[in-house]
Amino acid sequence: MDIAALLAWLEASPLAASIRNTIVAFPLVESGHVIGITLVFGTILVIDLRLLGLAWTRRPFSLIADEVLRWTWIAFAIAAVTGALMFITNAAAYYNNWYFRAKMLLLVLAGLNMVFFEITDRRSVLTWDRQKSAPPAGRLVAAASLAIWIGVIFLGRWVAYAPAATGPPPGEEVDFEKLEELLK
Amino acid sequence: MRGVSRFADWLAQTPLSTAIQVNEWVIPTIQSIHIVAIGVVLGSVLMVTLRILGLAARDQTLAETNARFGPWLTGALIVLLVTGILMIVGEPARELLALSFWMKMVLVAFAVAVRPRAPALAFVTLLVWLCIVVLGRLIAYDHVWGSWSAALKG
Repeated sequence: MDIAALLAWLEASPLAASIRNTIVAFPLVESGHVIGITLVFGTILVIDLRLLGLAWTRRPFSLIADEVLRWTWIAFAIAAVTGALMFITNAAAYYNNWYFRAKMLLLVLAGLNMVFFEITDRRSVLTWDRQKSAPPAGRLVAAASLAIWIGVIFLGRWVAYAPAATGPPPGEEVDFEKLEELLK
Repeated sequence: MRGVSRFADWLAQTPLSTAIQVNEWVIPTIQSIHIVAIGVVLGSVLMVTLRILGLAARDQTLAETNARFGPWLTGALIVLLVTGILMIVGEPARELLALSFWMKMVLVAFAVAVRPRAPALAFVTLLVWLCIVVLGRLIAYDHVWGSWSAALKG
């Protein structure tokens, strides 16, 4: 199955159709997506500021990470599920949207950044857990994380403002002429 | 609502509004900054709520937790106010004639006024913040309110 067929199959799925055809579905899924991504950023910020030595520096890093990261993962799961639901409603338009592609690339970078932290400073956490900030690698990861997640938010918003060549923003515009063609 | 409608028309013709309207990148950029600031608010409110519920920062007093997150919350609210006003100036009718916008403002007034200490109120306040986010997004889809939204546009 080539990618175009896969995208068409996703768009034609009953789930995608029911989201498109229910007036409140897409806005509510989108709202859930905003809640997910803002909570990802807001909780990651707590971690990154601690790594950078800018906030909550008197509390051990590992304690803060234990308390906060579970919520980050819950929020990420919400963002991923709602994001997938938005994607299937208009799969080809999203797939061909450069802001969307750049956002996916940033998400991969966010994952690599996290893996880099896991194999560097996270392993030696007990040696710096109570220090004011993480060693240089951890601080670099934190700064990169903030830049990446702010970038994800910006690109996510810009997906809806992509040039017309990549199709109208899903859910915000209906092409009645095309619709009439299809109904004929 | 005719007064609001006339105000929106007047606002749309001010130099700042036309400047925002002709530069297409401005609105998405302001919206993006607005969303980043919402992230700071939700993160801060979540942490204080978790402290009150006893699910995080149990080694910290509530006062210490508020001291950690209060300034970030205040700073983010100022950013939200400024970017929010710029969005109203840039697209007055879209915001001021939306039922979602006014419901959001009522909930914002509640959320910024309460300083919860009890678990129940803390939890309700967190839910109110989530509703604020939903209503904020619904401004773009105000037709979901059907005739209630239409009545506003009169």
